Amino acid sequence: MLSLAARSGAFSPYLQATSYVVAGQLKPIVPGVVVNTEKLLKDVKKPFLCRDSLSGQSPKTGPAVSASINGAASVRFAHSDIRVPDFSDYRRPEVQNANKSSQDSSDSRKGFSYLLTGATVVVSAYAAKTVVSQFISTMSASADVLALSQIEIKLSDIPEGKNVTFKWRGKPLFVRHRTPKEIEVEAAVNMAELRDPQHDLDRVKKPKWMIVLGVCTHLGCVPIANAGDYGGYYCPCHGSHYDASGRIRKGPAPANLEVPFYEFPDEDTVIVG
Amino acid sequence: MKGMRNISYLSRRLYSAQAAPKFEAAAAAERVRLPAQDPQITKLPNGLVIASLENYSPCSKIGVFVRAGSRYENVGDLGVTHLLRLAANLTTKGASAFRITRGVEAVGGGLSVTSTKENMVYSVECMRDYVDTVMEYLINVTTAPEFRHWEVADLTSRIKVDKALALQNPQLGVLENLHTAAYKSALCNTLYCPDYRVGKITSEQLHAFVQNNFTSARMALVGLGVDHAVLKQVGEHFLNIRSGQGAAGAKAVYRGGEVREQNADSLVHAAVVAEGAAAGSAEANAFAVLQHVLGAGPYIKRGTNMMSKLSQGVAKATTQPFDTTAFNASYSDAGLFGFYTISQAGVAGDVIQAAMAQIKAVAQGGVTAADVTRAKNQLKARYLMSMESTNGLLDEIGTQTLASGTCIQPESAAQTIDSVSANDVVNAAKKFVAGKKSMATRGNLGNTPFVDEL
Repeated sequence: MLSLAARSGAFSPYLQATSYVVAGQLKPIVPGVVVNTEKLLKDVKKPFLCRDSLSGQSPKTGPAVSASINGAASVRFAHSDIRVPDFSDYRRPEVQNANKSSQDSSDSRKGFSYLLTGATVVVSAYAAKTVVSQFISTMSASADVLALSQIEIKLSDIPEGKNVTFKWRGKPLFVRHRTPKEIEVEAAVNMAELRDPQHDLDRVKKPKWMIVLGVCTHLGCVPIANAGDYGGYYCPCHGSHYDASGRIRKGPAPANLEVPFYEFPDEDTVIVG
Repeated sequence: MKGMRNISYLSRRLYSAQAAPKFEAAAAAERVRLPAQDPQITKLPNGLVIASLENYSPCSKIGVFVRAGSRYENVGDLGVTHLLRLAANLTTKGASAFRITRGVEAVGGGLSVTSTKENMVYSVECMRDYVDTVMEYLINVTTAPEFRHWEVADLTSRIKVDKALALQNPQLGVLENLHTAAYKSALCNTLYCPDYRVGKITSEQLHAFVQNNFTSARMALVGLGVDHAVLKQVGEHFLNIRSGQGAAGAKAVYRGGEVREQNADSLVHAAVVAEGAAAGSAEANAFAVLQHVLGAGPYIKRGTNMMSKLSQGVAKATTQPFDTTAFNASYSDAGLFGFYTISQAGVAGDVIQAAMAQIKAVAQGGVTAADVTRAKNQLKARYLMSMESTNGLLDEIGTQTLASGTCIQPESAAQTIDSVSANDVVNAAKKFVAGKKSMATRGNLGNTPFVDEL
């Protein structure tokens, strides 16, 4: 009963044909061939060149074929069919030549790359700062609120000697067109007799126009214009007398009337605030 | 003083490891000797044969041997066994394809199907502790496959690739052609699916083949390193769902023909055979010894068989590289005996004629007792050495139990070989010389004779 003697022996590997190996995937994969559309590209067989390499190639008995999962593969995967693509389209000119060392050009290549990166970083930092500050500034006061903070006054409407009151930032604003006589008097006042010494020229930009806030510095009432003993303002609440420059002369108020920030864009207008 | 102590400590520590203790001879005597065991064989009433052998190996191997080779295909369903071979890991009733593959991988096992013209062998191997897991998958695959039609359809590309890979070896093509030329039925079916049938095999045909051929009476369950009781239980409960003999295969009828495949190869492969003996008969032993008398391939790795009778005869005919062996195939009811040559295209005719002449010389009594003894020793050695690997051992036990229900011991096999006489060998050679020849050739056949010119 020599069934084995009739079967393939240990030295006839060509009688055990293909065996599939599950290599990490969960369906048996096909080894050793690349299926390119319908054409099968086979691996190149070792050519039989001499008597010794032909030895043992003849089969001694009938064939046996096996297929297996997780069995010993008769093909060793060398991935030698994978071709590395040609990247020369993406290479810099200095490194196109595969035989030249890349160290010679490494300094210039690195310098260029770092320069470009650094410039990009700086520019984007500025851009980021701009964007962030723009977003944060949206939380600041809006234009209508800011618009309310300034007042533009046409000066030619104010006759000489008159004091006009405007509402500005919720407070009364006095704009007085002073006569030359008043200017002269105020300029000549002695600093020693002032409770809050300030020269008239320090309180006005153009002596002709005196602009002060109409809020008494004592307790906040609105003084009456062209009243009082000094030709300026008189606060009726507690009897504080101010002169034509808004300085306190008599009464309980401690300080002069506040002078806001104003400027004259031209002869005829003043913008306060 | 402390420094002195450290220095001596250092000198001790300069040895990389503690010296191993001396091996005690007494301890060796207490070593347990594991007794070599014989295969245990049980034949169930439904015909299933269960065999197991305890080989104390940490790995177990279990095989289901089924008499369902390509000879049992009908003309209407040629190629079914090829598809069945590739369908081993498809979804079954108890486990999906994913589960089978992943489960087998997870325990580090392997599932493989080997098919010959006579048998199909489903075998699993794994570590001894995980036998239950792989046994479950093996039972599912052999007894309860579902062959879902979309999974079967996916196998079409695998068939094509399988064929392309296999037919890279000219030997396989020549052997298939040889059997096609030699037989009218059964054994002429090829192991690979014919081209016109690729993509046309349906799931129903697979089911029908399994129903008709995977029956208990035609199966053997063999295990190496598995408990016999476990195997018996598995066999009784699971493997007897299809009882009976199944469809009877056709008888192999020899006709003796020729198939020539002309192509541009510079090496010509040629196989010339005549009727041999069926496996198990006394004649089969004589043919096996004759095969080794004539020369049956190298006996050591990277050796040559230049000293064989056939090679020496052919070497006189040509100086170019060649290879030749005697070919012997025994099937259950038929056999083939002859020779196989590989030669350069220009001298193929000379090589084939020289090989024929050598066998004729043997048929005329040109064999000495020394030749026969040498051949017997080589045959015994090859047989016994093939059983040294677990694969070979499983194959041998399985094929024997499937064919006859018993398993012969290597000693009795050696005795059977020794009982072959020189006369038997000469008669076998005479039978070859007188018999009707079949031939299969492949290559650039300009100088290759036809079978009637031999």
